[in-house]
Amino acid sequence: MDIFVLVKQVPDPEATIRIKTDTELEIENKYFTNFFDEIAIEAALRLKEKFGGKVTVLTVDHRRVDALRRGISMGADEAVQIADPALEGSDPFAIARILTAYLKDKPFDLILAGRQAMDDDSGIVGIALAEALNIPHVHSIIGLEVDPSKKEAKVIREVENGKEHLTCPLPALFTCQKGLNTPRIPLVMNVMKAMKAQIKKVDSASLGMEPNKVGSSSLQVKVLRYLPPPKRPPVKMIKEDYPENVKILVRLLREEAKVL
Amino acid sequence: MAKEIWVLAEHQEGKVKGITFELLSGSIEFSKQTGQKVAAILLGSGLEEATKSLIPFADKIYLLENPLLSPYTSDAYESALLPLLKEHEPSIFLGGATSTGKDLFPRLAMHLETGYAPDCTELSVNEEGRLTIKRPLFGGKVFAEMVFSEARPQMATVRNHTFLIRENPGRSAEVLPIPTRLDPSSLKKRVIHLEKSPGARLDITEADIVVAAGRGIKGPENFKLIEDLAEVLNASVGTTRAVVDEGWRDLKDQIGKSGKNISARLYMAFGISGAIHHILGIGTCKTIVAVDTDPNALIFNYADYGIVGDLFKIVPALTEELKRVLAS
Ligand SMILES: Cc1cc2nc3c(=O)[nH]c(=O)nc-3n(C[C@H](O)[C@H](O)[C@H](O)COP(=O)(O)OP(=O)(O)OC[C@H]3O[C@@H](n4cnc5c(N)ncnc54)[C@H](O)[C@@H]3O)c2cc1C
Ligand SMILES: Nc1ncnc2c1ncn2[C@@H]1O[C@H](COP(=O)(O)O)[C@@H](O)[C@H]1O
Repeated sequence: MDIFVLVKQVPDPEATIRIKTDTELEIENKYFTNFFDEIAIEAALRLKEKFGGKVTVLTVDHRRVDALRRGISMGADEAVQIADPALEGSDPFAIARILTAYLKDKPFDLILAGRQAMDDDSGIVGIALAEALNIPHVHSIIGLEVDPSKKEAKVIREVENGKEHLTCPLPALFTCQKGLNTPRIPLVMNVMKAMKAQIKKVDSASLGMEPNKVGSSSLQVKVLRYLPPPKRPPVKMIKEDYPENVKILVRLLREEAKVL
Repeated sequence: MAKEIWVLAEHQEGKVKGITFELLSGSIEFSKQTGQKVAAILLGSGLEEATKSLIPFADKIYLLENPLLSPYTSDAYESALLPLLKEHEPSIFLGGATSTGKDLFPRLAMHLETGYAPDCTELSVNEEGRLTIKRPLFGGKVFAEMVFSEARPQMATVRNHTFLIRENPGRSAEVLPIPTRLDPSSLKKRVIHLEKSPGARLDITEADIVVAAGRGIKGPENFKLIEDLAEVLNASVGTTRAVVDEGWRDLKDQIGKSGKNISARLYMAFGISGAIHHILGIGTCKTIVAVDTDPNALIFNYADYGIVGDLFKIVPALTEELKRVLAS
């Protein structure tokens, strides 16, 4: 099984994000490998351990390769960084176009991605890549079994009212959701090794990307301005003793908040 | 001719989902500014009841019937929708930020090379019908106000409870059946079966009211207290990652960064400390109530109403008080 895993280094949910100007953010330098991407790496490694083959972690980022190193320390065989300052300002669709250019004539059985990146929270890159490569995709999977001889996967997808069980021929792309597995913690020795591992670097010009298909000039939806989250009014603490406080809460919910 | 505003109609067992009526109600408001027609796009098979319920909420219903469209798969929906989208070039195409919308819209937008904004929490149009949206980034620590370029349709998926359902929408849709042929051999994925969640409650993302407990509930058996409260309020029950990781509740009920974002009208948190990962999932809830024994619990920084107290006393009393009040 040849598997590509799409990975991204993203700000930790605890990182402070400051609005610097209308269209500029200042992000505290506290990054981690996207939570869902580690689940994707784990899924790929388990398939490799079962069926053999190769796992390649792949990122589009000209600054950070930590997600690739995380992948290698967990057990991925190869790491590829698509890096080019021209890609600055790309949205998830542009990232998908770049990935398409890189992957379109590579052999693979499976591409795994995260359900969404914890910065833009889009959930676009994987699905858009599947569209461009014209392969099927299943979004937000919580179960995966592969039959390499039949070139088929059985997957379970989370939906509102339950779980959908599907079959899907390979090659395919799946985006991974919590519940699929618990990613392994790499051994310290492997983390050290990964620091020195070789990373293959590719630039977008060598992929034949047209400049207007990537970067900020390609955006179909543009940020007018960043805004702080809508302010909540200060909390009203109900200080009366029990059980009076419960009665007051119910009254406030009915008469003030009008939600009951 | 002014191009139309389209809404993907989602349905389950013949019933159209709340989010679809919300989106149609919002679109009717937009159409008052732009003069555009509002169309519901309904795909599946056995759609009589769904069609009927949509008639007052739209000017047109495009009805795409084919057994291969039921149950939903992205392959089949995409094959059926692309020709229609290319023929009509709607101005706007909205869907719910649901498992279906989030699955389908990126594929369509990539194919049509048009703009798509996921998970929107506010939308407006100007007189020319250009769409501006707001959406949370970084799990809701920042919002982005975004505008669409010239490409059409302008596509967006929208969170539950972003628009209110209008009680008297006052439209009477013309039903337009669209012959929909699909080649079964081109459809690659197949749904074998749908394993329905036990219980009749709505998913926490769809529910009007969500009541939740965290590790403060001490054990899975005590969720009975929360279930009883949910029963009285017709609410759904949510929880934290800590509880899911303990194995006390199913993952589908987890609220937060690595779980679900909810947009309930009322959210009540019992014995939940308010870690940022959890808070990020409730940012767009309208009213938040928190009950915790720790007066310094972070959850109180985000709540509208707070009580410092023992959930084992408060929850049963609240259930009783609500029973009494709501009955009268
Ligand atoms: C990458 C990442 C992603 C994460 N994603 C999520 C996520 O999606 N959702 C999520 O929820 N968490 C998430 N977490 C975990 C999060 O950081 C917290 O650990 C978790 O939310 C804590 O859950 P809790 O509030 O139930 O438990 P605790 O933090 O243990 O809080 C329990 C609370 O109960 C109170 N309490 C105890 N007894 C009583 C009583 N008798 N009556 C009333 N109150 C009582 C305590 O005072 C305390 O405030 C994530 C963490 C990481 C690192
Ligand atoms: N720059 C990137 N490089 C590689 N993979 C990415 C990149 N951005 C996103 N992805 C993958 O696509 C998934 C969804 O990202 P997004 O559409 O940005 O929410 C992530 O979980 C990653 O697996």
